[in-house]
Amino acid sequence: MITNIDKEIKTLVSKIIKMPEDKIDPNANLFFDLGVDSLLGVEILASLDKKYNLDIPEERLRKINTLNDIIALAKDLLAQKGN
Amino acid sequence: MSEDFSITSDYWRKLIGLDVQEKDDVLKKYKYPHRYVRPTFWFLFGLLARTYWRVSFSGTENIPKKPPYIVAPNHASSLDYPVVAWSMGRQRQDLYVLATKHFYDNPFSRFFMKIAANIDRIDTVEDFLPALKAAARILKNGRSIYINPEGTRSATGDLLPFRPGVGILAVELKVPIVPVYIKGAHECFPPGSLFPRPGKINVTFGKPIYVDQYLPKLKTENAYYVYKEVTDELRKRVTELKELRLQ
Repeated sequence: MITNIDKEIKTLVSKIIKMPEDKIDPNANLFFDLGVDSLLGVEILASLDKKYNLDIPEERLRKINTLNDIIALAKDLLAQKGN
Repeated sequence: MSEDFSITSDYWRKLIGLDVQEKDDVLKKYKYPHRYVRPTFWFLFGLLARTYWRVSFSGTENIPKKPPYIVAPNHASSLDYPVVAWSMGRQRQDLYVLATKHFYDNPFSRFFMKIAANIDRIDTVEDFLPALKAAARILKNGRSIYINPEGTRSATGDLLPFRPGVGILAVELKVPIVPVYIKGAHECFPPGSLFPRPGKINVTFGKPIYVDQYLPKLKTENAYYVYKEVTDELRKRVTELKELRLQ
């Protein structure tokens, strides 16, 4: 049972990109608006993969631009796993 | 749910294909027929290097005797690869290069690149992963690779930020990086010019960076920051070589 996953992922992203949670607009483009480099973007997904044991496919990496995209990806993959 | 979610090295290893079993002939595609004229090319380039650009080099004793390793110079001219490879002498035979589609898709530059180097086309504009995978495959097969950590030629000759891809490769494949500083190539053949001018070029090879001391950090820190630390150290070493040449 997942509770408060949006908050958990925001905290995780905040720790990885070293930016306070309140500065992260869920709809802001991580790369253009928040200055995250593309490899740090992969690191976010790598941490997400590790935290929830998601096995994120490589092709999904290219479709992530915002925090909301990350949350949607995690929810989708968790739903597929049957959680 | 794992609590040690910052330990992400496994994900990166999988992403760059280190968990994939390769065929033995994975590097066969680099064996172009052009290579038969390679000694002639380097002989002629050597004549130009000695007389037209008066290329000098130092620190070649810092290049590891055996591959695999990463050669990582600053990048401000299309002359950078040939002057570094020429300075390496016979060790360039085990050196592989990845070229962006911008250069590879031009038939003229592709012809000369295939003569001069073990080269492959990489679409680095849209996606960095093919470049990382191709470089990892080369290193995994015991060959060395030439990488410009800045990713593109500097328009001014000043050092640009280094991209952490070089750190990923060095850490995950446990190979040393040789920092290199090229002085003068930008003045002879800057980006945008059509014909190289005569001048004086110097290539300095620095002491290699061995990644052993960084590996324990993969157990406590996000892998990206370990890769970045190695990349930052590389940039520091290249900057030191630059300052050494300015004295």
